[in-house]
Amino acid sequence: MSELNIIEKVIALEGVELFRALSPDQLSRIASIAKEVRLVPGRVIFEPGNALDSLYVILDGSVELIRSGEVLHVAGQNEVLGAWALFDEEPMPFTARTVEDTRLLSIGRNDFFDLLSDNMEITASIFATMVRRFRQLVEG
Amino acid sequence: MSLYLLCVLFSYYILKPVSQSLFLNKFSAERLPYLYIFIAGAGGVLAYSYTKLAIRTSLKTAVTATTFIVILCLFGFWLLLEPVDVPPTWPWAYYAFNIWVSLFSIVLVSQGWLVAANVFNAREAKRLYGILGFGAVLGAAFGGSFTALAVAWMGTKNLLLASAAVVALAYLCFRLTLLQKGVSLTGVRAAEDETSEFSIHDIVGAVTRYRHLQVIIAIITITYVVDVMVEYQFSAVAKQRFTGDELTAFLGSFRGLYVNLATIVLQLFVTSAVVNRFGVGGTLQIMPASLAIASLGTVISPGLFALGAARLAEAAGRYSFNRTGMELLYLPLPAELKNRTKAFVDIFVDRAARGLGGALLILLTGVLDLTIRQIAVVVIGLTGIWILLVQRARHEYVLTVRKRLEARRLDLESARITVNDPVTIQLLEQTAKSAIPRQAIYALTLLAESPGYPMEKQYLEHIQHSSPEVRGKVFELARTTRFEGLLPQAMEELNRASDGENLPALKPAVAYALTFSPKRSELAQQLLDHPCDLAAQGALETIATDPSLAPDLISQEWIVAAAESPFPERRILSAIALRVRTDEKPQQLIRLLLDSNPRVIRAACITAGILRRREHVDLLVGHLADPRLRGAAIEALSNYKSRIIGTLEDVLTDNNAPFAVRRQIPRVLQAIPDQRSVDVLLRGIALPDLTLRATILRALNRMRESYPDLSYSDDSITAQILNEARHYFELNAALAPFKEHRSPKSVARLLSITLEERLERTIERLFALLGLRYPPKEIDAAWRAVNAGREEELATAIEFLDNVLDRELKKFLLPLFDASEHLLFRGEELFGVERKDAEGALRELLASGDEWLVVCAIATAAELNLRNLKKDIEALSSGAGVEVARVARQAMLQLA
Repeated sequence: MSELNIIEKVIALEGVELFRALSPDQLSRIASIAKEVRLVPGRVIFEPGNALDSLYVILDGSVELIRSGEVLHVAGQNEVLGAWALFDEEPMPFTARTVEDTRLLSIGRNDFFDLLSDNMEITASIFATMVRRFRQLVEG
Repeated sequence: MSLYLLCVLFSYYILKPVSQSLFLNKFSAERLPYLYIFIAGAGGVLAYSYTKLAIRTSLKTAVTATTFIVILCLFGFWLLLEPVDVPPTWPWAYYAFNIWVSLFSIVLVSQGWLVAANVFNAREAKRLYGILGFGAVLGAAFGGSFTALAVAWMGTKNLLLASAAVVALAYLCFRLTLLQKGVSLTGVRAAEDETSEFSIHDIVGAVTRYRHLQVIIAIITITYVVDVMVEYQFSAVAKQRFTGDELTAFLGSFRGLYVNLATIVLQLFVTSAVVNRFGVGGTLQIMPASLAIASLGTVISPGLFALGAARLAEAAGRYSFNRTGMELLYLPLPAELKNRTKAFVDIFVDRAARGLGGALLILLTGVLDLTIRQIAVVVIGLTGIWILLVQRARHEYVLTVRKRLEARRLDLESARITVNDPVTIQLLEQTAKSAIPRQAIYALTLLAESPGYPMEKQYLEHIQHSSPEVRGKVFELARTTRFEGLLPQAMEELNRASDGENLPALKPAVAYALTFSPKRSELAQQLLDHPCDLAAQGALETIATDPSLAPDLISQEWIVAAAESPFPERRILSAIALRVRTDEKPQQLIRLLLDSNPRVIRAACITAGILRRREHVDLLVGHLADPRLRGAAIEALSNYKSRIIGTLEDVLTDNNAPFAVRRQIPRVLQAIPDQRSVDVLLRGIALPDLTLRATILRALNRMRESYPDLSYSDDSITAQILNEARHYFELNAALAPFKEHRSPKSVARLLSITLEERLERTIERLFALLGLRYPPKEIDAAWRAVNAGREEELATAIEFLDNVLDRELKKFLLPLFDASEHLLFRGEELFGVERKDAEGALRELLASGDEWLVVCAIATAAELNLRNLKKDIEALSSGAGVEVARVARQAMLQLA
């Protein structure tokens, strides 16, 4: 399978809640720092104790989320892992492990912050989404 | 400036007694309440209309126009009105004249103060307020005395011509003021937006929310009701005692001389002491209490003496104690609300209360047929209510000040008076004791700003505070106020310091110790080698402000050794030291500007900005690309001022320069307030890159806001507005074939959303350009209305544009807001933009040079299987950007 082009990456990123308010043009700038990662089954993406420094979008394949030996959820195509980890250096409380051959799109925190510092309008849109989300949580 | 205000008040204090005397000589005193109501109603409407008109007019134009209109009106009234002893031919003319005089005070006097506010900055205004006020009071006194003397040989009516002559003299003073160095009223409006724009709905909401505001409005209402009643009593008795020109002379002397002299004596010598002694509550009670006593005198003996005393107490008290007390009452309100409330009070409450006073008088004199003596009893009753309201106000004041202090939002800087009333001071002292460091710091800062307040006790008490932030602030304030008693504590702070700790009190303690130590040189030497880098840094920064210490303490060897240190903190010290040793070679700093540690580079950037050497410019420009260094680099480059504008333009227009650097150049230019910066930016508004264009426009708009005196008029703006309008119609034509493509995974949908977003950005740029030609605030408001997408707001914005835009621009811009089904036709009609099918539209987009649009167009062509575009796509598969080429190659495979 050939590597994703920028258009395909943009379409994949459209599903990320954090990026919901961004225009395709803005998403293309995030797509330009997104890297495609291919993992074999059983690979640990992150686990408790280790800080997560990237966001992952599942392009195809599946990833199970495990806490205390119990599988909480199996994430599939277009689902996102660690969306809020970009702003939070605390370790995730569970383990994420691939179930089958899996292709992910990964966005590193440092690249992401560099991008934000150069694109204020993206920063503003992401803040707006976070505030909206926060308000929903508060207002129920 | 003072002479200008003197002339304005002089002319007003001729007209005031003349208008009243003419009225009282022609009509009975019973007509006065009706006149008060007319003045309140018609005068209010006219004053409000003037304010709305004034917002759109420059102050300079308004003063010129008003002067000529006033002189013309005075001539008109002079022809229309008869001498005092002739019965009136046109009774309405006397009402009109009185209303006109009330408007004169609002327009000319407020213009006078507005000119003063714009000639001086806030600090100067605070300092010169007394002198200007003195000029105004002197003008009023001279005007009144002149009237009293001149009426004997000129007659009441002819004083109108004398007033016209003084208005002309005032205008001459205004023109002379404008000729003074540094005085400019360019861009200043004849009325301030914030003081004139409020909605009744907002004010009603605020009044419901703030009990404090309710009490303020109640006090103001009762003040003006009582004012009207005392004025009536006084006028009625004056009419009984004097007639003809004698009445004019009496009113002139009384209003101009006695009332103003009493006001100035109270204001200069008594008010401040009263505020200090009795606080806001006591100050505000003086006026109703003295009025009650004077009215009691009227009840006992209702003659001119008692009523003169009541009128004097009322008028002089209102402009001295009451004005200062009310300023204090407003103080704890949020600044914006304060301005809006004052505007509301000036325009509505003041007049409504006077109208209410007039209506009450009709009831008391016309219906109940009360005598002057009986009205005085009513006044005593009203002053009782007034005193109760003041007590309530004091209580609310304390509560509100306390709340605002807790939130650290008490704005003393904007207050036009000195805040030193005991209640506020006591609250500040209590807050300074707060366990929350920020609150304590805030209160200490405000106390230090309070003139004459003995800070020594506060310094000695708070230097023991557990919070280093508070101790740091105490050292800072004590250093500024030259209090030398904290040296042992400063030394103790230095001894406690250990390397690597974050000690907010350390740097202020170092600065303090180095300012007051008897052995400054030795101490500085010790501090430079202090194990705590922060102490050394603080010492260096203090030494930098004292060139006499620097050469002996900071040697070249010390700088080199610090620059070569493996520890970044020492290298930072080296960068700071170079600010002091300006004779060092530029290579030293170049080395630090190339350091591997961003903190060292930031310190080096600041030094480069201070030294302003040519050799460092390229490195600083290069650092604009790094988000971590950008802020320091921009600040440093802006310190070079106009010397590097040419270099900055070269980088901005150089296609080979890194884009990350180019897009920061407008921000640097924006920070250099020079006409050449504006010119460079204006030359850049047509650059092909849309991001750069938007950044340039943003910088220009901010400059126009901050530096309205620079010239932004340029033919290129109009040309670019038309270019952008054309671009809008072209994008719209390109969008039309893809509007219906909305399926979730389709690329045509991405293209369509992108084109819609480009249309929005084009409108944004258009408004930014309009903001350079037309009033920026209004244009910004119109853009927000357009952006909100609500029909009603859009209609208002279009109506505004229709009124404000030039005919030629209107023709091209208003159609942009037509319904989408008409846009294609409009584009064709105005710019010859043809309608396109999907293939035609994509062909144009492929050649647009806009990378993301090109990528979308290629992928859409492949998705829609438009084989006729193969050649255009093939051309992009090599030589274009990496992503474009990659998508083009994949599209070629699909179309094969």
